[in-house]
Parts: sequence; C-alpha cells; structure tokens
Amino acid sequence: MAATVRTRARGGERAGGGLPGAVAAEWTKLWSVRSTWWGLAGSAALMGLMSLVLASSTVSNNTNEIASDDQGVVPVSGVAVASLDLVQFVVVAVAILVITGEYATGSIRSTLQWVPRRGRMLASKAVVLAAVMLPAGAVLGAVGTAVAGPVLGGWGRFRAVVAVDDALQMGVYLALVSLLVLGIGAMLRSTAGTLTTAFLFLLVVPMLLVNAGSAMGRHVADALPSTAGRYLMNGDGPYPAGAGAAILAAWTVAALWGGVLVLRRRDA
Amino acid sequence: MIALRGLTKRYGDRTAVDGLSLEVAAGKVTGFLGPNGAGKSTTMRMIVGLDRPSAGAALVGGRRYGEFRHPLREVGALLEAKAVHPGRSARRHLLAMARSNGIAAGRVEEVLALVGLEGVAGKRAGSFSLGMGQRLGIAGALLGDPGVLLFDEPVNGLDPDGVLWVRRLMRSLAAEGRTVFVSSHLMSEMQLTADRLVVIGRGRLIADAPVAEVIAASSRNSVRVRSPRAAELAARVRAEAPRAAETRGGVEVVRVSAEELVVTGMPVDRVGWLAFEAGVPLLELSEEKASLEEAYMELTGASVEYGAGAAAVEA
Repeated sequence: MAATVRTRARGGERAGGGLPGAVAAEWTKLWSVRSTWWGLAGSAALMGLMSLVLASSTVSNNTNEIASDDQGVVPVSGVAVASLDLVQFVVVAVAILVITGEYATGSIRSTLQWVPRRGRMLASKAVVLAAVMLPAGAVLGAVGTAVAGPVLGGWGRFRAVVAVDDALQMGVYLALVSLLVLGIGAMLRSTAGTLTTAFLFLLVVPMLLVNAGSAMGRHVADALPSTAGRYLMNGDGPYPAGAGAAILAAWTVAALWGGVLVLRRRDA
Repeated sequence: MIALRGLTKRYGDRTAVDGLSLEVAAGKVTGFLGPNGAGKSTTMRMIVGLDRPSAGAALVGGRRYGEFRHPLREVGALLEAKAVHPGRSARRHLLAMARSNGIAAGRVEEVLALVGLEGVAGKRAGSFSLGMGQRLGIAGALLGDPGVLLFDEPVNGLDPDGVLWVRRLMRSLAAEGRTVFVSSHLMSEMQLTADRLVVIGRGRLIADAPVAEVIAASSRNSVRVRSPRAAELAARVRAEAPRAAETRGGVEVVRVSAEELVVTGMPVDRVGWLAFEAGVPLLELSEEKASLEEAYMELTGASVEYGAGAAAVEA
C-alpha cells in the first residue's frame, strides 16, 4: 500500500480543474466512445448519399419532358444545405448522446462527482460540442458540395466564395442545433425522448405549420430554430441571415438555460 | 472530516434521511450500517452533492462538496461500481477523470497498478466483471489522493482475496490519517475493518460509537457463572440489578441448573465482585460476547419493528 502513501499535493492548489479541466475531460470522453466516430462518419456518408440523390434529381428534373419542375442552374453548395435537413439528425444523435448517454449508463453520476457545478458541467459539454460540430458542419458542407458538383455538371453553379460561406454557415447551424439538443437532453434525460422531441421540433412541426397554409402558421414556423437556420444558410427568408442566426442562438440559449435549471433542481 | 448537520432527504411524503447529525473523524475507518432502505446510499450521495438535501447540510472539512475547485483531490468516492460508460476503456475513464481535476496523467497508471487492473486497462469497462468494476471504482476514488474516502459496499462481488485486499486498503488509508467512511451489510467484515460504527435505521441515527462499545451494549452479552451456592448469588445479582445502569434492557438472571446461572445485562467484572462481596465461591465465571451481527440485529430490529428507533448509544 506504500504507493498510496503520498503527501497530499499542496502545490498547484489553483492549477487545473475548473471549466478548462471539465472541457478537457469531456473532450477525452467524447472521443473514447465508438458512437462519436460512427455518428460523424455516418453523417458524412449520409451527406454524400443525400447530395448524390438531390443532385441527380435536379438534373433529371431539368432534363425531363415536364417543364414545370425545372430548377435551372443551381448553386452546388445549396445541394449540401438541402441535404442537411435529414443529415442533421445523425449529428444531433451524437450531440444528444453526450448527455443522455450518461444518464442511460449511470456515468452521469461520475461526471457530476468530477464536476459538481451543474452549470460548469453542461458548459463544458457545450464547449466541446461546439468545437467539434462547427468544423464537422463545414466538412459536411464540403462533402456535399464535392459530391453534388460532378453530378450536376452544367446545371451546377460553383463559386468558391459561396461554397465556403455555405459550409461555414452549416457549421454554425450544426453547432447551435447540437447545443440546442444538449439543453433538451439535460431536461429530458432520455435518449429516445430527446431524439423524438428534436425530430418533431426541427422537422415535423415546421413542416406541418407551413403546409397548413395559414399566414399565422408560417409566421410561427419562421420563428422556429430549424426554419431560422435554413434562412441563415439559404439567405432566402423574410428576415436577414443574421437574424436567422440570432433566432437560432436564442433558442439554444433558452434550451441550455432550461437544462441548467433542471440539473440544479433534480437529483442526479 | 465529514460533518452531517441535521441532514434530511424527503421524497414526497417519504423521509429517507431524517435529521442525521454526526461527525466522521479522520484517521479511522468508520463503518456505516443499517438495513436496506435505511438511507445509507442517499446519505453518501448527499455528501458528494449528487442528491440535494431537503434540509441540513453535509460538509467535508467544513465545506460543501460543490464548493471545491478540485473535489476529487478532497473526496474519493466509490458509490456504484458501474457508474462508468461501458464503451469506454478503464484507462480513458480515469484519464478523463484526472483531467477534470488537474491531476497528473501519470497518476492514472499508478492507481491502475494499485488495484491490479493494469493488464485490462485498455479494455472496455462494459466487459468487466462486478469485481473488476469495483476495483476500477476504487482506483477512481484513490485517483486524487484525497483525504476523505467514501465506499458504498466496496467488497460487493469481490473474491476472498479481494475482500482481504480491501480490508487492508481501508486500514492503511485510515492509518495515513485519512477519513474512511464505508458502508456494508457484512457485519463480520465490519467487525474486522471498522474502528467506529454509525448505525442508522429508517433514516435516523441509532448508534454512533466505537465497535467495542456497540458490542458491549448488546443485551446478548451474557455471563455464565457456576457456583455451589447459585441461588444465593442469583438473589444478590437481582438485588443489585436496579443499579446496573450501564446496560439497557435491565438485568436478567436465569438459573440454568442447580449450580449454573446465566446473567445478562451485567458486566462480568460486576458479577465477580458481587460474588466476592457475598462470599460465594465460584467454580466458573465466563463471559459470552455477542457478535457485532447480534448487536446490530438487536439495534436495527427495534428500528424496523417500531420505526421510531431505539435510544442512541452515545459514545
């Protein structure tokens, strides 16, 4: 037992720990489970597939006999943005597991012993997710653009500035949406419940509201995070792209705040 | 040192921990006993801030757990062996843990070697047996070299070698001046490991005393006396009974045979002196000590039966 007989490290009392320590721990944890690697690889594969399908469909629409479905020449990176509607859920699943996976396995009780401050614990997860999802979104944008370009051929319009801009906006969107579902996950704690909520909230509800056809429904849909995110990336909304980013960010902050409140109130 | 001050936890109208006040001293192994559902785990969870007390406070060195910048360097806890992501290797788990509290990465290999997991450190924790999971939990508790250690049922799932190892570990940690607070339902194990016992029942304190005192206070301690003038001695003991204040439950004298008495509720020394004073010759005078298990059953039996709990054995 001699190995445990160590004078307790009095030096460096202020060193390490805190938020930087919590972030370092979350970084290590994120990359030491397979689901992260599978999820990110899967999202890239799905992005390639979706871009292939959407680009092919654009080409066939433009070349078939029916004139009404012609889309003309489209921006190549726009195909990647459109593919994100579906691809985002693979990324969202990775983000959700960062918190709900810990509740499912009981490891949240370890995490909270290491980092007992609830706000700091969730903040450290948010920092790591943002740091991963921002570049991941940009990479996904590049993948989608790279696949769509050759398929579209002359029906695609490629401008490097637009492609880079779109890729960065996809990064911003995915980072913010990941933090949004992180907050929801902290409130709901269940993987299935959080994924279902995210699916309804990001895809089904806005679609129903728009399809209902009423002006009211459309206004409500415009205020929802995924619609705001699409206006951010496409720049074709009733408000500027910056406003779309602000609306999305507001939802994200609200969800994270809710998550912290629930974490503080409920036992682990 | 751990200090509980009126610590209370209510779930709806059920009170799991009911105004618990006690101190767990450094340099000792303090056993934490009580029937299932007595509130042991809830108490430990409140000490490390996983559960929020409904009232009162749990303090470590005068501070709440959440106030520490490096909690793992202050308190090491093994609460549930399986609070580890099953897909993560033991080494990565401990490495993340070390990073969170500014602990040198080299310490990870040290504690892995200490608990004997260095050979399987790269394996997924989900593939571990219960005993290996316990060892990983103990490695985590020791990682920050903390002055206070909490162990909830640490020998669960360990083989006899492992049980012996944990017992020695607890003893050596206490000998180094650390506070060791360990819950268990294995009384024989506690009798060997603990210096002091805290017994709770239905969330309330039943006893907080050195192990020897808890056993001494048991009414199942008895004195066997053999004497040719047994009847005379029995009368003497009964006459003395009201003054035998050190035992609860009064004094009982049973005449087993013509020459033999069994006295409960009176220490052996006292019986010997009474015989001497009465001039009664003794052929045999022997003490039969209750085991910790018997003493414990007696203490908690009352709490289970009557709920309110028996009188506390004050140290």
